Amino acid sequence: MAQGHTDNHSTEIKNPGSWKLESSTRGIFIGMAVVGIVGLVASIILSPVRGWSALLMNHFFFMSLALGGLFITSIQYVTNAMWSAPVRRIAESFSAYLPVVLVGFLIICLGIPHLFSWSHSEIVQGDPVLEHKASYLNVTFFVIRNLVAIAVWFLLGRKLVGNSVAQDADGNPVYTLRNRVLSGAFIVLFALTYTMSSIDLLMSLDPHWFSTMFGVYAFAGLFTSSLALLTIFTIVLLRKGLLKGIVNDNHLHDLGKFMFAFTIFWAYIAFSQYMLIWYANLPEETMYFMHRFDGGWKGITIFLLLGKFLVPFFALLPREAKRDAGRLMKVAIWILFAQWIDLIWIIQPEFFKDGPKIGFPEVAGLLAFGGIFCLMVTRFLGTHNIVAIKDPKLAESVLHHHQ
Amino acid sequence: MGDPSVYTPVTKTAKAPVLAGVVGFFENPQSLMEATKKLREANYQSFDAFSPFPIHGLEKAQGLKRSALPFVTMGAGLTGFMCAVLLQGWTSVVSWPLNVGGKPYWSWPAFVPIFFELTVLFAGLATVAGMLIVNGLPNLNKRAFDNNITRDRFALMIDAPKLKTAEELGDMDDDEILKYRTRLAKFKAFEESEAKSFLTNLGAIDVKAVEQRGWFE
Repeated sequence: MAQGHTDNHSTEIKNPGSWKLESSTRGIFIGMAVVGIVGLVASIILSPVRGWSALLMNHFFFMSLALGGLFITSIQYVTNAMWSAPVRRIAESFSAYLPVVLVGFLIICLGIPHLFSWSHSEIVQGDPVLEHKASYLNVTFFVIRNLVAIAVWFLLGRKLVGNSVAQDADGNPVYTLRNRVLSGAFIVLFALTYTMSSIDLLMSLDPHWFSTMFGVYAFAGLFTSSLALLTIFTIVLLRKGLLKGIVNDNHLHDLGKFMFAFTIFWAYIAFSQYMLIWYANLPEETMYFMHRFDGGWKGITIFLLLGKFLVPFFALLPREAKRDAGRLMKVAIWILFAQWIDLIWIIQPEFFKDGPKIGFPEVAGLLAFGGIFCLMVTRFLGTHNIVAIKDPKLAESVLHHHQ
Repeated sequence: MGDPSVYTPVTKTAKAPVLAGVVGFFENPQSLMEATKKLREANYQSFDAFSPFPIHGLEKAQGLKRSALPFVTMGAGLTGFMCAVLLQGWTSVVSWPLNVGGKPYWSWPAFVPIFFELTVLFAGLATVAGMLIVNGLPNLNKRAFDNNITRDRFALMIDAPKLKTAEELGDMDDDEILKYRTRLAKFKAFEESEAKSFLTNLGAIDVKAVEQRGWFE
């Protein structure tokens, strides 16, 4: 009987088509990218360590958003989710950035000597810990395994999003079934490769340190920030009137609940990592936090506790906050900002012990990668339907949530 | 056929049945939803909707206000948190300070798991208890009028208002009677046959009157 009802209403959902970006907005993105790239190149020439760390940080930030879009998509497929059908295509669009991840990684390969102390044989020799780790932490293996990971993300992402887009034409439910299997494979491979990538690109900056929770810490940041970005894009498209009659307060409420839940998840993981290291009190583990609790870094550590946990927690706690596009938008932007600061907190203390350096190179990196990210994602949304219009779950989601 | 008196059923000396209300059954969640909206507009004193599974937006169609339960959860959670702070602070700092690995007595990172656990425990138990109280459960004076409303039937019930008997009215003074009458006058008057035909007009496929019956009656 629910089926019969769904059929009655499927004709009522009007395909909003694609999102044709105004040329002025595209101009802004291109301007951001050009200014950012010039600024980043200048920073790398003038102050190599600062420039390379800014590049690495912003590369990782936007790489995580692109992967987060794919991860959110996969989760919806494997759980057979209904609520998310109207916004899933927006999450899929983030994966349009993945080819740039390859370019970004290749550029980072040029900066390996500036970023990773384990790449210098004179530092490794005579240091028993680093000598022991050298069979894993060496340039050749580093480049190969990261290229493999990027290839896995790109190929699975293209297949996954390709199936979803192909369904727009004929509405064949077989694409959903295929993506369900594909998503299961992606989630397993993603867990392994993203852990590896975060260990390689972030944790190995201090090659002595290790934390068995670092991968899931990076993942917690990835998930909250990509949910925030998905919320931002959804609200922007809603305000443009493109999602009218498809996305309503109930879908925003769901996105808000998701962000709220994973704000807590981040705090849980971040505290667990800290508590285990604090409790065991082993010098080779505690130094990571010693660097970050001293001097200028103390303020950033406190900011993360407040900005990444308490502020979004209390901002998203009331029901009304999760159903109000304006408030949700502000919190989502704040979460993205806090994630960016978190990456500064992870990366910079390895180079600048005195305190954080947030200035021209970091902002230039944000403009460069952010401009390119927006260009790639809006190009995808400009050439594909912004809603998976023939998804078997769409009518149910629009109707079920439409009260 | 023999003596007809053999077939005479034994009559129980039960108290006179009291009308609880009139129930209409609906075919699917959508027709229940439409009917609920119209029933609300009709302004009966009290009615309720029944479904085997939660229907999004039904509470809105019924015009139900948001429950105060979240505040119970919040209050109990904060109480649990404070209890954990006092319990651990008092035992490890005041009552019996122990040096563990050279760490301070007030080693808050070690206490955080208990902060969390007691917050969740208090909040969880209080929410369940509060839910039962808010819903007036368990209610031994009411029994399901049709077991199928937990399986595949959707129903609306217009409750028969509890009217005062002539005796009770006799005991009240004029002011109280006036208050009682004005309150009744705010709602559409309930009358069994009228309520039945009203539900039929809303699209109910089956309509019946329900008598008040407790669990052990």
